[in-house]
Parts: sequence; C-alpha cells; structure tokens
Amino acid sequence: MTYYIFTLVFFLFDYFILAMGLNIQYGITGILNFAYIGFVAVGAYVTGVAAMPANTVGQHYILGLGLPFPFNLLLGGFAAMGLSVLIALITLRRLRTDYLAIVLVSLSLVFYDFCNNYVSLFNGADGLYNVPEPFAKTLGLGSNNFIVFFACLTGVVSLIMWFVMSRVMRAPLGRTFRAVRDDAVTAAALGKNTFWMQMKAMMIGSFFAGIGGGLLIQFGGSFNPTAWLPAETFVVFAVLIVGGAGNNIGMFVGALLVETLLIHLPAFLPEIPGHPGLIEYIDTVIVGVVLMVMLWFRPQGIVPARLRKTASFGVDERLDEEAGELDRTTALAGVGTRAEATR
Amino acid sequence: MTLLWLSVGFGLVTTSVLALAALGLSLQFGITNYINFAYGDFMALGGFFTYFLNNEALHLNIWLSMAIATVAMGFFGVLINRLLLGPFARRFTSSHYVLIVTFGLSLIMLNVIYSIWGADVRFYSLPPGSALHIGPLLLTTSQLIVMGIAVVLVGAVHTILQTTRLGKSMRAMSDNGTLAMTSGIDTRMVTTVTWFMSGALAGVAGAVLGVSEGNLTPAAGELFLFVIFAAVILGGIGSIYGALAGAVVIGMSTEISAAFINPAYKLDIAFVALILTLLIRPNGLIARPGMT
Amino acid sequence: MSVADPTTTIDATLAATAALRCEGLVKAFQGVHAVNGAAFDVPAGQITALIGPNGAGKTTVVNMLSGAMKADRGRVFLGETEITGWPSHRIAQHGLLRTFQLSRELGGLTVLENLLTAAPNQAGDSFLNALLRPGLIRRQERENAERALHLLAVYGLYRHRDTPARELSGGQKKLLEIARAVMGQPKVLLLDEPMAGVNPALIDVLGGYILDLKKDGVTVLMIEHNLGVVERICDYVIVLAEGKTLATGRLSELRQNTEVVKAYLGEVMDASATH
Repeated sequence: MTYYIFTLVFFLFDYFILAMGLNIQYGITGILNFAYIGFVAVGAYVTGVAAMPANTVGQHYILGLGLPFPFNLLLGGFAAMGLSVLIALITLRRLRTDYLAIVLVSLSLVFYDFCNNYVSLFNGADGLYNVPEPFAKTLGLGSNNFIVFFACLTGVVSLIMWFVMSRVMRAPLGRTFRAVRDDAVTAAALGKNTFWMQMKAMMIGSFFAGIGGGLLIQFGGSFNPTAWLPAETFVVFAVLIVGGAGNNIGMFVGALLVETLLIHLPAFLPEIPGHPGLIEYIDTVIVGVVLMVMLWFRPQGIVPARLRKTASFGVDERLDEEAGELDRTTALAGVGTRAEATR
Repeated sequence: MTLLWLSVGFGLVTTSVLALAALGLSLQFGITNYINFAYGDFMALGGFFTYFLNNEALHLNIWLSMAIATVAMGFFGVLINRLLLGPFARRFTSSHYVLIVTFGLSLIMLNVIYSIWGADVRFYSLPPGSALHIGPLLLTTSQLIVMGIAVVLVGAVHTILQTTRLGKSMRAMSDNGTLAMTSGIDTRMVTTVTWFMSGALAGVAGAVLGVSEGNLTPAAGELFLFVIFAAVILGGIGSIYGALAGAVVIGMSTEISAAFINPAYKLDIAFVALILTLLIRPNGLIARPGMT
Repeated sequence: MSVADPTTTIDATLAATAALRCEGLVKAFQGVHAVNGAAFDVPAGQITALIGPNGAGKTTVVNMLSGAMKADRGRVFLGETEITGWPSHRIAQHGLLRTFQLSRELGGLTVLENLLTAAPNQAGDSFLNALLRPGLIRRQERENAERALHLLAVYGLYRHRDTPARELSGGQKKLLEIARAVMGQPKVLLLDEPMAGVNPALIDVLGGYILDLKKDGVTVLMIEHNLGVVERICDYVIVLAEGKTLATGRLSELRQNTEVVKAYLGEVMDASATH
C-alpha cells in the first residue's frame, strides 16, 4: 500500500516538473514542442549512464562515470538542454508552426529509432537497468523505503524547480516570452531578439524535461524505449491543457488529475485475463478524449493563467484622479472598450 | 550488382506506398492548411481493417479486402473531419489547437487498434505468387500489384485534379481558400470530397504497407509518418506533384542506401533529407506551394 | 517622366542633421519593384510626412527602415550609424521604433504589460538576473511601471491598464500602439498611418500627441494620407511615387512645385477627401 501511494506521489511531482518545462515552451512562449518526450529521454539516459559504473555485465552504454546523485541528475538536465540548443538552431529559424511541429515529431521518431538500434549508446531496445539507487546504500534503505524516500526527494526537487520557474515567469523574461508568443513581429519591433528568446525558452524547458527524466530513471532504476514512445509527449500536453496553460499551479493540478489519477491509478487495476495491456490502452484512449473535451469546453484549463495586475509592481496608484481627467478627453473622442460599446 | 537491382525493386515498392500516402496527406493539407498528425494511424486502421476482412471476418481475397477497407477509410476521414477536426479548426484561429487534437487523435486511434487487435505482429494471407524477373528486377506478384495500385490511383487523382470541375475547385481552394469561397465554390463539398480521398488513400497506403513489409503492427503507420513528412516537405508542402516527386526521391534513396549501409538506419536517410531541405529551402526543393 | 531632384529641395543644413537617412532602397516582390531607389533624409527633431499614392511603396519603405524587411539594395543610416541589414530588434534597441498600420497589440498581455515590454535595457530579460537578482528587477520594474502608468494617463488608457490588450477597441489599440513605441524611448519614431480608421475627434487628439513628441525631441516620420493633418502638424514632406522619391520639402513649397508633384498631391488629396 505504501508502495502504491508513494509511486503515485512520485509521478505527481515528476510530472509537475515535466509539465512546468513544457509550459514555459508551449504555454508561455508558444513553441509547439511535439518532441518533448525526447528531451525527457535524454535526461533519463544521461542521468543513468552518469550514475552507472564504467562497465556493467550485459549492458553497453557510453560514459559510465559513476557520479553520485545529484550530479548525475544535473548532467542529465544539461544534456537535454544541450540537445535543445542543437534542435532550436535547426528548427527555430523561419519555420511556420506546423513545419516546426513536423520536424520535432520527426526528430523524436528518429531519435527513438536511433536509440533503439544503436546499442552502444544506451543499450538499444533493452535500455538501461540496474541503475544505482541514490543514497540507498548509504542510508541502508530497502526497496519499499527507497520508494518513500525518493518520492519525498522528488517533492523537494520539484519545489526547487517550481521556485526557479516562478522567478522566471514573474520576471520581465516571462513577459517577453509571452510577447513573443502573442506576436513575434511586434516583440522584435520593440527590441526583443525573438530567436534568442525562443532559444532560452527551449533551453529552460528542456532542462526541466531532463531533470524530470533523470528522476524517472532514478526512481525505477531502469529506462528503455517503451517508456518514451513519441506519443508520451501527448500525455504531458494533456497535463498542461487540463491544468491550464501558462500557470504553474495549473501544472500541479494537471499532474494530479491526468498523470496520477487517470494514468497511474488504473495501472494498479488487475489485468483482464486474456487481454494483456487492455486496461492501459483504454486508459490512454480516455486521456485523449479528456484532452479533446477539455480543449473544446474549457481551453484555458482548470486553473487559467492569471493576469498580472498593476498593484503587483509595487507602484503607487494615486495617479487615478489625474488620469480620470485625461481619460475623459479620449472619452470625448469617442473611444471606449469593446465591452463598453456593446453594453 | 544483384543486390543493387534487388534494392531498386524494393525502392519501387516503397515509392509506391509512399506516393499513395504522401498524395493523401498533401491533398488534405492543401485544403485544410494544417497537418494531420493522426495520418499514420489512419494508415494503420486501414491496414487492420483489411486484415479483419482478409483473415478474421469474411476471409475475403486480400485485394478485395483492401478495396473495401479503402472506401471505408474514405468515409472515416469524412466523419473525423465533420465531427472533430473541422469544428476545432473553425473555432480556434490559432492552428495549435487543431494540431494538438490531431496528435491526440493519433494516440486514441493507436490505442483503439491495440485494444482490438493487441500488440502482436499480424500477417495477411496473400494468394501464392511467384517471383518474376522483369528486366534486371526481381519482383513478386504482390509487389507488382502494389505498384499497379499506386499507378492507377495516382493517375486517377491526377485526372480528377486536372480535368474535372471538382478538381479545379480543389486546386483553387488549395491556392487561396478565401478567394475560392468568395468566387462561389462550394468549399464544404470540396472539403468533404478531399477528406474522403485523403482517408481512402491513407487506408490503401496502410494496407499496401502491410503487404510490402510482409507484416502488420499498430505502430507501423506512426513510424512511417515521418518518411511521408520527409517526402512531402522535400516536394514542397501542399504541392501534389511535389509530394509525388518527393516520394520517388525518398522511396528510392532509403531502399538503395540500405544496400550499402546497415538497413536499420535506412529511415535516417529520409531524416537527413528532411533536415537538409529545411535548412536549405524550407518551402521545398521541388515545387512551390499550391496544387500546381 | 521628369522627376524632381530630391536633394535640391531640402536645405543643405537639414541634410547634415538627418536623424534617419536612406539611399537607393530597392525591394522587389516576385519580380515587381515595390520600391525602386527611394532615397531621403529625415531631419532630426522634426515631424516629417511620407506621402504618395497607393502602391507608392510607403509601407515597404518603413518596413525596410525598421528592419522588418530586408532591402534588396540600398543603405540605411540611423544618425551616424549604418543600420543596413540589421534585424529589427537591434534597430529598435538603437532607438528607432515603429508602429504598424494595423494595430498589433500583444493580445494576451495587459495594457500595462504591453508598455512594460517596450521598456529598453531590462535587466530582467536575462535568465540569471531573473533567478538571482530579484531586488534589482523589482526596482527596475517599479520604475518602468511608474513611467508606463504616466504614459497611459497621458494617452487616456490609464483606466484600462489591467485590461488584456485584445479587449481594447480599435481606437484604443491605436493609442496603445503609439504609447508603447514611446515607452521604448525612441530617438526616431516611424508611424505607419496612425490616423487611418480613426474617428475625426481622435485625429485631433493623436495629432496633439505627435506634436508633444516633437517637443520632447523625438524625430517623427509618419505615413499619412490626410493632407489636412500633414499641413497642421508636419514640418516636412517626402513624396514617394512608384517606389522612388519624387520630391521633398515643406508642403507649401511642394504645392508650388512641378506639375508632376501637383498631380500626385491632387490624387492624394482626392483620396483623403473620400475618406
């Protein structure tokens, strides 16, 4: 029972991190990253091979640094970030939205194909397994205790990540990202280097993807291509859209509803005899349907992005009277908001 | 040398499959102006419906099963547009939403196929045929029929586009949707017919992919999708004839390269072509947008 | 067709103090020349109108000056600095800001945020500052917000400071467009038809704002069809026709210029009369 609950807790926090990463890319900056799961995979693999010893019987992989946690995790995050720089250099130039989406989907398919076939990279289709569990030996944790410990550790990591993301989103940088999303031409005319801004969003988001992936492999001790089929990206999109694009709290709510309740809770149901995997298949169909229903009826999500009000800038709003006077001049000129006109 | 000719034969078959698939994707893109990321799963569904008729329900001949599945997938395409994609595309100005919906549709369709048919590899029952020598090429009867299907269907679409009123309307809409609407073209009708053609072509492409690969898996369509993307982008997205040319280039080069490099990486050839095209001329190497 | 030599009509002293200068600008779209050798000086600290019949290439010229489009040929100078081929964000950072003919608000941002986006030299656009120096950012944000609120008060948008920009009316979006560019502290401001589609009462208000900008030392180049407006607020006029500079000078001088110019001005006047 403890094992079940803390597995759910782990996935809640991990997908909270993953969703925040996609949120800065898609929800805030408007980059439709359909290859997101590829960055998660890079983070997972690199975290794994960074922690594993130079040689393991029966497995082939690069690096094998034997790094302790959290250094291997950070390496995983930076590896995902490095990949995103390469990909952004190819894709962010002059590509319209659907071209970008095509290229990113293709990239994740090819990268998938490559990891599957090129055994000496990350042990091919078998993937990595027996990845050392962080602190398990030093703290003398059994496998059940490790689950509890690591779920809590992931909670701490997600809090740190949330803090970082809140700083970014609240800073002018976050506003500039949103400006680029709303209209890149205008943002450029106002002096914003839109390419570099999108690159930054890609890098920050991919770092989050890499950390989320690294935690995945550390939690389960293994990672192979079946864990990151390109369609998995869609699950993160579902978390984002159900929760509410643009809002970090929404990412947590989305992770809770979609990842924890919709995807992982049914995984504990017993298999239907004679139909291996049927529950999982039906479950995935339900996730897809939920997302579409959500997009249609409540595209802003359960926790919509909030507007940043003047008061939050710490300014004195005593201009009110003076401004009221001036506003009347324009009122004379017959300008009113659309809402006022229709009233 | 024999190996080379053998791979040319494979190349022709792959080109045929790819041409059918790329044609369907391009037609639909030209009219609706967004990419259908579930297209690979349309193919898979076509392939499995063919399998259903061929091996499970009526034990029909493979080619007859394929014909029925093709028509059924045509109606499926119309249905999906009417009930799902069309409403989303009309409601939201940003194309993000409909792209995410097609991505989700892809996941739903894939898992529906898994739920019904499971993850096992399936095989069609093909009528026994012999390998034929045609010039230096060595092809089976089924492979020849696949090529024949591609030639006939591509020819039919070409004839429709070039000679019929409907085809002219389709080309006009693809060039400029708004203008077409104001000039009295029944855009709703054209859209419906296009979705029918696109769905049918996906269905037949999925089935012939199963024939040419020798087996059938639910994820095969999805993995094939980016080879289609490579062909379509190489040819210039939305351009029918560009897509066909792209299909020839990608189909031949992936198969012929497999004679020289590890065949496991033949897909990466398509990918390199895709990336190079995007870097050099993102609007396509072969043709300009529009169905001309 | 005889064309007036642009250099003869503008004072030599003005040429020396040009805030913005372009030479031999050429831009072709699919073989058709939209701009074909446009060349002019925009005198510093003055309001200059860019006029000409439809299809003269006015917007294309503004797009090339602001970096939104790359010129096929020709050079552009901002003060002493050659900015030919610079991307638009770099040009904006060097003090040349512009507005668009059709307002391009950042719809998901509030009116105040629209202005804040334009504030120059923001430390908070850097990731490391965002992460490590919240105090610096808070201070800068407060200063920028205060300036932005003053501007919003001046432009009559103060009440709507927390409204998402997409909910503004057409006229308010025009005001926002200008206020936002002013927030960027322009040395040179390019206005692409600021009065188009605006009701007559607001035209006067906008004209007043533009004159105020001049008082603050901003050089203004505006595309304008309404010759009444040009007469009231503009110091100089540049006439563009078929992608070339036809003439430059004061409107009064141009009125007495060659028959060709008269013909163009006549056409422009007719066009503005029908609006």
